[in-house]
Amino acid sequence: MAKSDYFQWAAETFALERIFEKDEALKDVKIVELCTLILGPATPAYLAEFGATVFKVELPGMGDTMRSLTPWGHFWKKQALGWLKEARNKYHIAIDVHHEEGKELFKRLVAQADVVVENLRAGTMDKWGIGYRDLVEINPGLIYIANNGFGQWGPYVERPSYDAIAQSESGMAWISGFPGRLPMKSGIWLCDYYGALKAAVGILAALHYRDRTGKGQYIEYSQAENIMRAMDWTWIYQGITGKGRDRYGNRDVAICPSDIFKSKDGELVALAATTDHQFKALCQAMDKPELAEDPRFLTNLERTKEENAQALLSVVREWVASRTWFEIDRLARKYGFAAEKVYSGRDHYYDEHFEVRGFKWHIDDPILGDGVEEGVAPKLSETPGRIKWMGKAVGFDNEYVFTKFLGLTVDELKALEEKGVIGKWADFIGRTPPDDWDGKSGKIFP
Amino acid sequence: MVDKTRPWEEWIREHDDPEHTLEKPEAMDDLVVLDVSYGNMAGLFTSSILSEFGAFVIKVEPPQGDLARKFTPYGLLCKDTGLGYLNEGRNKYHVTLNLKTEEGREIYKELAAKADVVIETFKPGEADEMGIGFRQLKDLNPGLVYCAIHTYGQFGPEAEKNRKKPDYDVVDQARCGIPAVTGEPDDPDIPEEVRAPTKQGNWMGWYAGGCWAAFGIITALLWRFKSGKGQFIDMAPPEGEAKFCDYHIQWYHQAKRLRGRVGPYDSAVFPYTFVKTSDGVCFISGFSDVNWAHLCNIMNKPEVKDMFPTIFDRLNPENQPKIHHIIEEWSARLTSKELEEVVMKHNLEPDAVGVVATAKVNWPLDALGEDHWWIRKTFTRIEDPNYGELLLVNPAANKMTETPPRLKWACRPVGADNLFVYKKFLGYGPARLEELKSKGVI
Repeated sequence: MAKSDYFQWAAETFALERIFEKDEALKDVKIVELCTLILGPATPAYLAEFGATVFKVELPGMGDTMRSLTPWGHFWKKQALGWLKEARNKYHIAIDVHHEEGKELFKRLVAQADVVVENLRAGTMDKWGIGYRDLVEINPGLIYIANNGFGQWGPYVERPSYDAIAQSESGMAWISGFPGRLPMKSGIWLCDYYGALKAAVGILAALHYRDRTGKGQYIEYSQAENIMRAMDWTWIYQGITGKGRDRYGNRDVAICPSDIFKSKDGELVALAATTDHQFKALCQAMDKPELAEDPRFLTNLERTKEENAQALLSVVREWVASRTWFEIDRLARKYGFAAEKVYSGRDHYYDEHFEVRGFKWHIDDPILGDGVEEGVAPKLSETPGRIKWMGKAVGFDNEYVFTKFLGLTVDELKALEEKGVIGKWADFIGRTPPDDWDGKSGKIFP
Repeated sequence: MVDKTRPWEEWIREHDDPEHTLEKPEAMDDLVVLDVSYGNMAGLFTSSILSEFGAFVIKVEPPQGDLARKFTPYGLLCKDTGLGYLNEGRNKYHVTLNLKTEEGREIYKELAAKADVVIETFKPGEADEMGIGFRQLKDLNPGLVYCAIHTYGQFGPEAEKNRKKPDYDVVDQARCGIPAVTGEPDDPDIPEEVRAPTKQGNWMGWYAGGCWAAFGIITALLWRFKSGKGQFIDMAPPEGEAKFCDYHIQWYHQAKRLRGRVGPYDSAVFPYTFVKTSDGVCFISGFSDVNWAHLCNIMNKPEVKDMFPTIFDRLNPENQPKIHHIIEEWSARLTSKELEEVVMKHNLEPDAVGVVATAKVNWPLDALGEDHWWIRKTFTRIEDPNYGELLLVNPAANKMTETPPRLKWACRPVGADNLFVYKKFLGYGPARLEELKSKGVI
């Protein structure tokens, strides 16, 4: 079949305009979330993109601390950007689970849920009487995941964790950055977002097993152990050589050439080529075909040897420095080696490719109006992920959720609110609807 | 009744200690997965995840082996295989098949007809052109979940334009947006060559892409359980990793400014940074009001608390270096271990209101010396019949009470499982394999 036909077919298969006509893979899955910050809340956020119904339970008033996390304290329509990203598609309710009646309400919700996600300190939920041992009594098929840094048992069980704790403990920060400089913390909350992804994969695997057998289970999830699993050859190398892995800047010491170089026009260009074909292509593009015949550079195994790598990388560095990014890109497309510039937020924002693929996702939000968010990662042809709404104030969906799912009447809700069992937002930035909210938009019931 | 008389920690350990993993069933041992990725750790990681949950994974390599077997630090080989592949060859059945031959492609289609999942990393449109893409396979197997992984994805203007470019970790990382906000800031005191966008040291682009691919595949399988239908998954690793890039697209939309690189600082929480100790570097945090007050108490500098009273005062880029300096005046007098101990002592005091999180920035070799990981079986040492004694990392992050993921074996040589797999799925015996071998098909 012809290539042009393929790309046209793929474009139609994944067309953004058709997403809302299609089914959602996880539409039968209900998730109750009792989480703060990122590692917890991002887990159900990923699943909500594919249709899961997520009840995010917060404390009445101030809610999740994440509602304050935004770059340099910049709030957009009174919303924190760090928070919005993981609030998408969720139902936002507020229950005080310290309160006896709050616990009862929480349990009634869990009784009809498929999954519970929490990220409190190990054993806290159990102490409160709403841990796995309590909840499995009322819902035997329940899948319950507890996300934290170090797990539920072991010598470090008392230690608090954040993304950067996992980056530090695991050695991930150590192996990042340039030689001779300090280890480099990732500029993003890597072990939280990536951690949440693997937690979601655990939930999906448990759902698969439940489909087969009807059985639920408890999942103990550790973000530090998760990033250790992703550190590729680190451990096996240390086991074989007895040597520790260090940091090598942008150079990949296992693949050569693979590094980031500066072009003539100042762009940072990532470049790699390892098959015979790709390496020859690169040499041709550099107008140095003889390099492909040099015994030091014949195979990736030869090229990754330290001395050979240094020699080759300096040739490539010099070549990139003598060409503009436009020229390099053109040659990479023509000859078939990998080259890409370092993308910034601005590049993503204006890139047509990310726009067409919905990775830059435009949303007309009932409460917040016109917004742009990062879209969905894996594109599924039959059950594509989607963003429906961005995020809502603390307790915004109380009436709808407690009425529809728990059968409470409006009077009963009022009584619970008066007792402080449930509640709404405090008048504090990050917790409220935007100033221009009309008091109605986005409300589902009443 | 669930026993609630025992402490939680004890009860849960009894139920999920990896000690008992091998006695338990596997979540996904009903599935057959065909991994035909080539020179690509994202594909290998995807199939590793599925295999750790129990799937029967057939890794298809060309007769000379997957190029990824040669991705290894400093050219270091262990028998026929480099260390990257050795780590992700786990639990899989390794067969050879030459997809450049007509007969090889026919055999591949027969295998795909019996598989639940296909994972490939061809260039966009390449499999389709070879007649073994999703469009061809779905007719043979309507329930097939087919996942294609490539830097540019299968649609969008760049996919077609870049259809000759291969997928590598470094380009996936460059394109995901994280290096642009990682690394030492543009401070003239810092040498120019290291004052640059910085990638993650591991193959984070590939691992992010692989993990998202597994997410997409299991999601598609859950839908197949209800609908009976398979589907096509387009996974571009840069988008997978960009999902972790905080709020960067949102920020550009609203502020039309870039975040830039802030070294060990953070633009939305502070203190949340690395500090020097007398023998190394530690991470330390204390960004919410209570935790900040707690940190000031631990440092025995109560007067500092009100110098930077709110989250936003502490986030102010002008204040960040001042706060950093104040913390380092204290931390530099302690070893990393002492710092961890003093913080934990204060965290555990009954009247402590806040919590300060801290950790030594470990050299990975030092991480191996910590009991916590060995007790929890994060790592394992195995004696592999083909590759000798190996130190491997377990799928330890998800400890599941019913169906824990597991590591069964490290890797297998090129074509080691040809006889078993071709016999089991297609009925080929030694004579037929010999014939295929002579024709260069396996």
